[in-house]
Amino acid sequence: MTAALPSRALAGPALIPVDIGHPVYAAVTDPDTAFWALVDKTRLAETVAGGPLLDAYREQAGAFGQELHALRFGLKPSGVYLNPTERCNLDCTYCYLPGKQRSGGQHMPAETLIASLGRLRDYFRSVMPEGRKPRAIFHGAEPLMNQAAVFAAINEFADDFAFGVQTNGTLLNDAAVDFLTSRNVSIGLSLDGPVAGITDATRRTWGGKSVHGKVLAAMDKLKGYGSWSVITTCTTENLPHLTSMVELFHAHEVPTCMLNTLRCTLPGARGVKPADGEMAKAFFAALDRSHALYRESGRKLVVANFANILIGILAPTARRLMCDISPCGGGRAFFALAADGSLYPCSEFIGLPRFNGGSLLSEGGVEAALASEAFKTVIGRDVDKFSPCGDCAIRHFCGSPCPAEAHEMNGGMEKIGAFCDFYKEQVNYALRLIADGKADDYLWDGWDEGTETLFDLSL
Amino acid sequence: MTRTVQTQTQTQAQANIQQPQAAAPTIAVRKSCNPDGIGLSHYVLMDKKAAK
Ligand code: SF4
Ligand code: SF4
Repeated sequence: MTAALPSRALAGPALIPVDIGHPVYAAVTDPDTAFWALVDKTRLAETVAGGPLLDAYREQAGAFGQELHALRFGLKPSGVYLNPTERCNLDCTYCYLPGKQRSGGQHMPAETLIASLGRLRDYFRSVMPEGRKPRAIFHGAEPLMNQAAVFAAINEFADDFAFGVQTNGTLLNDAAVDFLTSRNVSIGLSLDGPVAGITDATRRTWGGKSVHGKVLAAMDKLKGYGSWSVITTCTTENLPHLTSMVELFHAHEVPTCMLNTLRCTLPGARGVKPADGEMAKAFFAALDRSHALYRESGRKLVVANFANILIGILAPTARRLMCDISPCGGGRAFFALAADGSLYPCSEFIGLPRFNGGSLLSEGGVEAALASEAFKTVIGRDVDKFSPCGDCAIRHFCGSPCPAEAHEMNGGMEKIGAFCDFYKEQVNYALRLIADGKADDYLWDGWDEGTETLFDLSL
Repeated sequence: MTRTVQTQTQTQAQANIQQPQAAAPTIAVRKSCNPDGIGLSHYVLMDKKAAK
């Protein structure tokens, strides 16, 4: 529960109390800089009134504000999501791409994909420091429907990009796995249920056939590979089974999973949207189970979307997912290339023609898209500037995702996304873990390598 | 949010019991690095090092 109550009228930065539901601790935050501290709740009033915490924070507040501002407004793109085909062999309930495209759409020709990557390489070279590779992720619909073009592109640009592929897993035969793993391509799969009956409720072929067994087979093939993950999209259909999902993933030695709330951009998704409270209950039970499994086995199953909330609190600049920051990463940290050669701020917008920022291979290319009205509408969505988020104590741990669903479901960019209360609960849960000294158990080993500690106060 | 309400009720009882004790230490941590995140809800690059 968050309470956006100013602590007192002050000339300097102030701290806002937040009840996190912990027996001993309450949080205080300065949302303007994403600063937080956990304080003994019996000393809350005196802590926000003044004293060593506030003094120490005020010394750093300017620097923290600048750091957050640079993260929110100063990034250059360093990744691209490539949609090499409009087609998919599945018809998932909540897909963000229109069904007509997925069933009868076009593939991007191999020569267009190669030309596009050439253009993208040149763009990234112009904005990224030497020695850092841009990321290029092959992405939905189902990229392996156009496998020949995708693999040709990976071979051609092996030295220029760090590649990833997000796939439904149904086309990952031994040869495809060998190709991708031998080139260190990061692989993401999707699975929605611990058993076929649950997965089939939201993910099945156009003819209604189950793909559960095929995804499990793909997971078996990837066991032991360092760079893979599985996404579960949480819906009303699988919510009671999230704990079993975690058990299945842990048993299959999945290193990282995501238990994502579905995006409600297109109407099909909204029919299986869980209520925030139900989502929180099931999600925390799954996190608790992942922790118990870690304690029993010594092996972590990192739930990446939650890990990212924790990291966003502990080290805002170290976050890996760019949905939970405002403006989100779409159109500024990365962008998406659709199969027809058009650029969009994020794949989530590809079904919405008004967010088309123009063709990559046209004269203006990426620069023109980044400056287009289509992109500016998304990049300009600022959580500080609309209600109720502008007064929210945790707004830079949440980011009020997602602009696509805010626009399509709630009627505009200046609206909240689909899961406000769930975000509040997640942040409270994350802060409780930090209070209990357990945060590292939920994070990748070595997650903070390469970070510098700017503030570490023990009073 | 039944869950939160329950937690808060328990919480208050425990906090009352703990009041006579010394204050719990304040916790405040902030780390920093060069930002390079590009993941989104449809994808997370699993191995950060592999991308460098
Ligand atoms: S919040 Fe939505 S538009 Fe932004 S990066 Fe995430 S999925 Fe894409
Ligand atoms: S959507 Fe996020 S930022 Fe907005 S009010 Fe809810 S928790 Fe706060």
